[in-house]
Amino acid sequence: MFARLLWKLLRGSRGRLAVAAVALVSGAAVISALLNLDLGVEHQLTQEFRTLGANVVVSPRQRATVTDAAPAVPVLMGKEAVIEAIERTRTSSVIAAAPYLYVIARRANTPLVVAGTWLDETPKLEPTWKLEGEWVTSREDSQRCLIGRNVARQFRLAPGAPLELKYFDRSARLTVAGVMDAGGAEDSQVFVSLPMAQYLAGKEGMIGLAQLSVTGSAQSIAEYAARLAKLLPGDDVLPIRQVTEAEAAMLHRIQLLIVSMVALILLLTALCVLATMAALAMERRADVGLMKALGGSIARIVGLFLAEVGVLGAAGGLIGCVAGVALSYWMGERVFGASISARWEIFPLTTGLMVIVALGGALPLRLLGKTKPAVILRGE
Amino acid sequence: MFVRLLGESFVRNPRRKMLTAAALVVGMAVATSTLTVALDVGDRLAREFRSFGANLLVTPESDTLPVEIGGVDYRPVDEGSYLQEADLGKLKTIFWRHNIVGFTPFLDVPARIDTSNPPPNLAGTDRMRMPVTLIGTWYAHEVPVPDGTKFKTGASVTHPWWKIEGRWFGDTANECVVGEAFARAHFDQPAIGQTLNVYPLGAPVLGDGKPLPLVITGIVSTGGAEDQAILVPLSVSGNLSNRPGAFRQLFVSALTKPADTFSERDPLKMTPTEYDRWYCSPYISSISLQIRQVLPGVEVRTIRRVADTEGRVLSRVGMLLWMVTLAALGAAALAVAATSATTVLERRDEIGIMKAIGATNSLVAGIFLAEQFMLAIAGGALGFVLGAGLARILGAGVFGTPASLRIVLLPVVLGLAAIVAIAGSLIPLRRASHFNPAPILRGE
Repeated sequence: MFARLLWKLLRGSRGRLAVAAVALVSGAAVISALLNLDLGVEHQLTQEFRTLGANVVVSPRQRATVTDAAPAVPVLMGKEAVIEAIERTRTSSVIAAAPYLYVIARRANTPLVVAGTWLDETPKLEPTWKLEGEWVTSREDSQRCLIGRNVARQFRLAPGAPLELKYFDRSARLTVAGVMDAGGAEDSQVFVSLPMAQYLAGKEGMIGLAQLSVTGSAQSIAEYAARLAKLLPGDDVLPIRQVTEAEAAMLHRIQLLIVSMVALILLLTALCVLATMAALAMERRADVGLMKALGGSIARIVGLFLAEVGVLGAAGGLIGCVAGVALSYWMGERVFGASISARWEIFPLTTGLMVIVALGGALPLRLLGKTKPAVILRGE
Repeated sequence: MFVRLLGESFVRNPRRKMLTAAALVVGMAVATSTLTVALDVGDRLAREFRSFGANLLVTPESDTLPVEIGGVDYRPVDEGSYLQEADLGKLKTIFWRHNIVGFTPFLDVPARIDTSNPPPNLAGTDRMRMPVTLIGTWYAHEVPVPDGTKFKTGASVTHPWWKIEGRWFGDTANECVVGEAFARAHFDQPAIGQTLNVYPLGAPVLGDGKPLPLVITGIVSTGGAEDQAILVPLSVSGNLSNRPGAFRQLFVSALTKPADTFSERDPLKMTPTEYDRWYCSPYISSISLQIRQVLPGVEVRTIRRVADTEGRVLSRVGMLLWMVTLAALGAAALAVAATSATTVLERRDEIGIMKAIGATNSLVAGIFLAEQFMLAIAGGALGFVLGAGLARILGAGVFGTPASLRIVLLPVVLGLAAIVAIAGSLIPLRRASHFNPAPILRGE
């Protein structure tokens, strides 16, 4: 009996329910799209910020000591221990990591900063560099190097040209693979493979520092740095403050902005659905009046209506959710060029919210229970 | 007659209008506040991005290759070329002078200091003077601008993440601040208040060269190479290197517009109109050119790491916010349209009576639409005021300063309110026009 009445009601008042259904579906779509986007946005933005380059540096506790012989004789650390520690703590949030050894070598008689590193990690560590020529894709490739823009200009070198470097009695013949425009100190440096720099400096197996690019919130980066530091008691593991602090502040503001805007929209959408449902409920007051006049219980009418809007809310919420997740896919594609993955918790959350709001709309009907049936039936 | 009907409708049955009016006020308030924030957000985020530090680096054009590791230039003082700090006021005379947030010159000088705690490789020698690099810079320096005003700038603006314990050096005093790691390694007792005897590099390593005493006023922590160094006022490093007023690097922090396909083009190949448009837009490339024009003999490099990240994040967040704003507008429109539709549906009885006594469809529609329009204007105006207040609160909460009121938005919001309110009632009105009055009045 109850089920049949419910079915009749849903089929019968199609016109009136249409408005409510449209409100429910689009409300759920907007809410779920924004919730999904908001949950995905921090992840996407921290990825974006990785173009800032390395944000964690591992260096020996006591650093550069300066002597008369050379401008700088940095204190070095063993490569194996550092690399092992990095590999052991490595998670998916570590985007790139590379050891560095700096040597001041000479080309002809000009001193030149030579950085030895894993050249295959460089594009990931420094995504903003513009390269003319090609990257060196193997970290074992000791014959090729990348040179900074200023070096190329000073010595009139182009990709493919030979470059000979000397450090005291050791020398190396290299081929220029690419010229990089870094917009920083690297524009005046030569990047070679780590073994080549170690050979030039005569420091086999040693590195000066290691740089890591780690994605995540400031707190998770600090936690990662702390974990790494525990494995390397003799070295300093420090987040680069310029990057991490500003990034955290920035992310916080952007998040706050989006969250507050989303909260406003959520409120608005919920209100809209509530208003529509309340109007729908008011249409039933004649039924309430009739039921009361006939001596029936108002609970039955309210129960029927609640079942009706509950079904409507659940269906509208679900359909809206699917549309909303599709919408957030599209938005993520447009804004970040990467699809934002659907969060499954969105579905019960949005559907639940829609059902609650829809049921809340039945409140005025409940209040009608206190009025005399004659007044209601007269339509006052 | 029409006007009287309209007036009566508002006076006699205000409760029925409440729902639409409330939806209009709330919807338009949300629309106004999100639009205000979205319009403002580019400028505010760009300013926020300056906390990443400078985005332009100015160096002498005819320079030798810097021998720079970890931010310290190891070149001898007599090598390479220099720029003069006296010219720096001109930076505030370029077309986009208000977009120059700050600039800081740097001059690194190798020197020696007396130390009670020499590094291991120098230990054992009697009264060994340790070689160090002094980083000369400004913290908060007043630069005279050619138009007679003064501009206060320095590392406080371009390096906001530097933290000090104690206080910064005076910009002309014989004072210095030492890096955190340096202080830890070389001082047993608290470093602040002690005097550091600095010798120019030409002075003998042993013996009694004439030192320059510098009072340590603070310990700086930067998270970078400066933690290992000694920071001195630019005037001190200038005097020590016998080049007063000279510097080697200038970090400039400028508010810029994110690069787009237009700004990537070569200015030399633009038509005169395009060139003017490029020159008069605060692109990082046009600001670089303007700096080169006032400081001849310099090279201006974009610090790509900062500038590129800023451009990417700014354009993405901007786009994201516009989408959220669109969603807000959509939700507002939906709320208003849905409530107007329900109010029209609710008043089918009225429509039935009107039609029964001979009103034409167009008259009925006219009355209803006029009502909706008046509601939209009143509700939209109230919503605009509320929304402006909301935007102020939002701006203050997120960025610390309230968003400015934009009157331009008022007609936009009112127009939007009118359009959605009328559009929302059009469909039920059209359906109502097909009805026979009799069944409606019977309540079917």
